[in-house]
Amino acid sequence: MSTVVKKTINFKLNGQPLTAPEGTMILDAAKRSGNFITNLCSNPKLKPFAACRTCMVDVREDGEKKLVYSCTHPVSEGMEVFSETEETDRYNGACLEMLLVEHPLDCPICDKSGVCPLQDNTDALKLYNGRFEIKRRNEPSIKTNPIIEFYLNRCIMCGMCVRICDEIQGVQALDYHKRGYKIMIGTANEEPLDCEFCGQCITVCPTGALMDLTSEARGLAAMFTNTLSTCSFCSWGCTVKLETKKGKLIRIEGDETFDLGINEGNLCAKGRFGHGIVQNEKRIQTPMMNVGGTFKEISWAEAIEMVAERMTTQVNRSGPTSIVGLAGEKMTNEEAYLFQKLFRGVFGSNQVTNLQQLRAPYINRFQDKCFENGIVSKPITELETADAVLIFNSDIPSEYPVAGNSIRKGAIYTGTDILIANPRRVVFNNESRVDIRMTYKPGTDLAVASRLSRILIDNNIIDTAKVQDAVPNYDDLIRSLAPYTADATEAITGIKDSVLVRAAERFGRTADRCILIGNDILDTGQGEAILDALLNLAILVHHGGEGSVSIYPPREHCNSQGVQDMGCTPEHLPGGARIDDANALERLRETWGLGDLKLEQEDLVTNLWENCSQGLVKLLYIAGEDPIRSYYKAEPVKDALKTVPFLVVQDMYWSNTCQMADLVLPVCSYAEKDGTFTNMSRHVQQVRAAVLPEGESRPDFEIISDIAEACGKPFPTFDVKEAQDEIAKAAPIYKGLFPGRKSKQWQPEQSGGKAGFTPVNQFVEPSPNESYPFKLITNNHMFHIGTYTHHASALVDIGPDCIAEINREDASALNLADGDKIQIASDTHALEVPVSISSRSTPGVVYLPKNWVDVPVNMMRNGHEGLVAVKINKVG
Amino acid sequence: MTEATETAEATLEAPEEKKICMTTFYKILDSFPARERRYLIPMMTKVQNEFRFLPPELTEVLREELNVTRAEIYGIISFYPQFRIEEPGKYIFKLCYGTACFVKGAPIIAQKLKEKFSMGKGETDPSKLFTLEFASCLGNCGAAPMAIIGEDTYGNIDPEKTYSDVTDNYAL
Repeated sequence: MSTVVKKTINFKLNGQPLTAPEGTMILDAAKRSGNFITNLCSNPKLKPFAACRTCMVDVREDGEKKLVYSCTHPVSEGMEVFSETEETDRYNGACLEMLLVEHPLDCPICDKSGVCPLQDNTDALKLYNGRFEIKRRNEPSIKTNPIIEFYLNRCIMCGMCVRICDEIQGVQALDYHKRGYKIMIGTANEEPLDCEFCGQCITVCPTGALMDLTSEARGLAAMFTNTLSTCSFCSWGCTVKLETKKGKLIRIEGDETFDLGINEGNLCAKGRFGHGIVQNEKRIQTPMMNVGGTFKEISWAEAIEMVAERMTTQVNRSGPTSIVGLAGEKMTNEEAYLFQKLFRGVFGSNQVTNLQQLRAPYINRFQDKCFENGIVSKPITELETADAVLIFNSDIPSEYPVAGNSIRKGAIYTGTDILIANPRRVVFNNESRVDIRMTYKPGTDLAVASRLSRILIDNNIIDTAKVQDAVPNYDDLIRSLAPYTADATEAITGIKDSVLVRAAERFGRTADRCILIGNDILDTGQGEAILDALLNLAILVHHGGEGSVSIYPPREHCNSQGVQDMGCTPEHLPGGARIDDANALERLRETWGLGDLKLEQEDLVTNLWENCSQGLVKLLYIAGEDPIRSYYKAEPVKDALKTVPFLVVQDMYWSNTCQMADLVLPVCSYAEKDGTFTNMSRHVQQVRAAVLPEGESRPDFEIISDIAEACGKPFPTFDVKEAQDEIAKAAPIYKGLFPGRKSKQWQPEQSGGKAGFTPVNQFVEPSPNESYPFKLITNNHMFHIGTYTHHASALVDIGPDCIAEINREDASALNLADGDKIQIASDTHALEVPVSISSRSTPGVVYLPKNWVDVPVNMMRNGHEGLVAVKINKVG
Repeated sequence: MTEATETAEATLEAPEEKKICMTTFYKILDSFPARERRYLIPMMTKVQNEFRFLPPELTEVLREELNVTRAEIYGIISFYPQFRIEEPGKYIFKLCYGTACFVKGAPIIAQKLKEKFSMGKGETDPSKLFTLEFASCLGNCGAAPMAIIGEDTYGNIDPEKTYSDVTDNYAL
C-alpha cells in the first residue's frame, strides 16, 4: 500500500450498502462487489475514458438527482446509485443500438463469441429487435504482422487497445485514425505493426476486432476449456489462462478477474504467444539411450531400471558423494522437492544443486540476509501502489515485462517515482512525473549503489541516529562508503552527482519503496558486492526512513526461487533452512522417517564442473537444463560432461547437453503437469495440466517417484497433493499455501533479530584493454528466454534474428550501418551477427541477446568473470 | 535498358536529391517557447507552411524532439485533412464543391481534371503540377463555379472550357 492513505467511502448501489476507497469510480466499485452495470470501454487498469456511453446510472448525491456515467464519476459519501432504471436503460440502450447498426453479427466465427461484452450488454438491455437500418462497414482484414489481426468491421471504437498500449504498455503503437464516420484504429501511417507484441490489445478488445493469429481455432471462445495455470517463462509468475479445444492447446490469454494472480491479466509476448513449445512434434518423444554415439529408443521401464541400477551401484561402489543432481529451474516445487529427496533420502547424497546456485550461491545468502535484517518484502501485487521504484540494472520490458505494466499503472494512479539505473539507455516509457535515469558506465554498478547510500547519510535524508541504534556495525558501513565521494563517483560512473542526489532524495523520502534487481548484475562479476550494496541501501531506509522497503533477489526462470526453497542446493534444506540447522534436519528426519539421515559430507557441487572433469563425480543427473548453452561459461561445462561416466538428462527438447548424455528422458511441459511454481517475490502459484503429455513424455514427478521405487525405497507420496502435504511438513514456510490458487507469498519463519550491514569491497575499476575496447552486455531478448522459445513459431516470427545493438557514435567510428554484419570477438571466441544502430546502447557497449543456439554468447566468456571485453570488426 | 526507362528513373530519383533544410526546420522549432508536446500542432502547421508538406524525415525528428510516438503523430495528421505527408504539386487546386458550385458544374470540372491530369480528390497529377483539393465552400457563391489555384481566384468558370480558361495558364 502506498503511504498515502485513502479514505473509505460508504455508498449504496440499488439499496445495497457498499464501501470503496476514495476516488474509485462507481463502475469499478460495482464490479468489485460483483454487481453488473452495462459498459463496454471501462477497465480498472485504464484511466476513465467514457467512449461507449452505455454505463449511465441514476445517482442521488447531495440531495440531487443526476444521471452520470458510472465509469467517470467517483463514489462519494452517502451517495445512492441506481442502475438499470427505466431511464438509464433507455439512454444506454440507444447508444448500444447505434453501435449495433455497424457491428457485423459474425459471432460464430468471432474469437470473442461467448465472452463478448457487446453480447452481454445487448442481452442485459434486451435489444433484440433493432430499430435502425443495418449499415455494415466493409473493411478488409489487416494481417500485416504475424501475430495480431485487425478486423476493424467489428471495432466499436472503445479505444481500449489504444489506451492499454499507451498507459499500461508504454508503447503507443496504436492510435485513432481520422475521426467521425471514418474513424478507425491503426498503426502509424498504416505500416505493419512493430511493437512489443504483448498482445494486451487482444485481451482488452471487447469485440474481437483484434485477434490472435497464433490461435489455431476461430470462434466460440466460450466453448474452449479454460485452465488457469502459471506461466513457465520468466520468474515474474503471471497467471495464464490456457485455452484448449479437443485436446489441443489453442491459445493463451490473460485473465482479468479481480484479485486473481499477480498480473491483473497482463501478459507479455512470451507468455501469450509462446504456447508453440507445448504441443510440438520436435519434442523428445521417447526415452533415448546412447549406444556408442547413436541414440536408440528404449522403453520407460528399461530407462527407469537403468537409472536406478546405475545410481544404486555407484553409491555402493564410490559412496553417496559420487552422484550429483542438477535440478532444473523450470521444475515445479513438488518435483524439485522429490528430486532432492531422491538424492538425500534415498541415496544419502547431499550433492544437489541448480544452475543459479552454481553460478551465484550468494543470491540465496542475500535473501537470508534480507530476512535477518527484518526486510521481508511485500507481495509484488503491491508494486502498483509503491511510491518509489528503483529498477537496478534490469531492462524491464525484456526481463520482467509485466512488472513494467504494474509500475506504469502505479505511475498513473499512485504517482510512483521511477528510478532507473542501467548501463544501457533502456526504453521504459511511462507517465510518471519523476522518472530519473542513471545511465552509468558498464560495470560500475557497485559505485552507483554505494553512492546512493552515502548520499542518504551525508545529506541527512534519513534519520542516521535511528540506524545507528538499530544496526550494530553502522561504522563499518561508513568506513566502506568513504571512497564514494561526489567527485570520485562521478569520475567512475559518469553520472552527474546531482542526478544521484535527486534519486536518493526521492528514494529516501517517506515512501513505500521497491527495489527490482536485474539478472544482469551477475554478469558484472561483482554480483555479490552489488547485492550487498543494495541491501545496505535498503537497510538504511528500512531503519532510518519512514514507510517501507521491498527488495527481491534477481531470479531468471519460472521456478528459480522454488527450486532453492525446496532445498536443491548443497547449502539449504527444504524450507530455506541452512544445512547445519539441527532443528530443520531433525524435522526432515521425522518427516521422511529416516532417523539416521546424515548430510555432513564432502561438497563436490560447489565446484561441480571441475570435480566432474577430475573424475570425482561418477554420475550426473540433469533434470531439465542445458548447461552447455545456459551456464554463463560454456567450456568448463563441455569438459565436465565429456568426462563424467554416466550422464542422465531430462528435457523437453533435444539440446547440446542431451547430445552428450548416456540416457535422455522426455519430460512434460508446464501445460501437461500439476504442481506449483514460486515466483521471484515468493508467491506460490498453481500449475495445472491443460493437455495430455506429448509423445511418451512424463512429468518429472512420476519419473523421480518411479526411480525411487525401482531402488526399493518408494516415496509415500502418491500424487502431487500428497507431496504438497509432505512439503508443508518438511518446509513449514509453505504451510497453507497449497494448492496455490490464491497466489499467496510465503513468509520467513523468523525475520529480524540479526541486523547488520555488509561492508562492500572498494570498487576496483577494471583495467581498460586497448585491443578489446567494447564491453559485451548480454541478456534475454524481449521475445525469447532460454532456448525453448525458439520452438514456438510465433516468437520466432516476431524475433527471428539475433541482432547486436551498438551506439550511433561507435557505429559511425567503425563505419557501420544498420544491417551490416559484424564480428564480435573476445580473446577466446568470435561471433558473427548483424548489427543495428540503437539509441539504447551507450558508447563502448555492444548488446547481444543470449538466446540463439547458433550464437553461443557464453563461449565468449572463458576463464574470466566480469563483463566480457570484446572488439568489433565489420565483416564483408 | 531503353532510354525511356532511364529518363523515368532519373525523374523518380530527382525529388530525393532535394535537400531538406534542417536549419529552417530548427528555426521553426526554436520560435516556440519550448519543445513540448502541446506545441505539436502549431509546429506541424509552421513546418508545412514552410516545406509545403510534412516530409517523413522531419516528422521523425519532430517525433524525437517532442517525445511522441509515430502512431500519435500520424493519428493527428490523419485527423486534419490539411496536413499532407506527400509532396503536393506545384499548385494546390482548390475546387469549390459547395452547393452553388456543385449545381453550376463543379463535378464537370472535376471530371475534366480527372481526364486530363488523372487526379481525383486529394490526389496529385503525375507531372506534379496540381494537387486537387475539394473545398466545402469558398464563400464566393455568386461566382459559382469557382476555384482557387495557388494564389489566384477563378470565378464563373465555364466547365466546358476548364482547360483553355484555367489550367492552360499554369505550367511547371
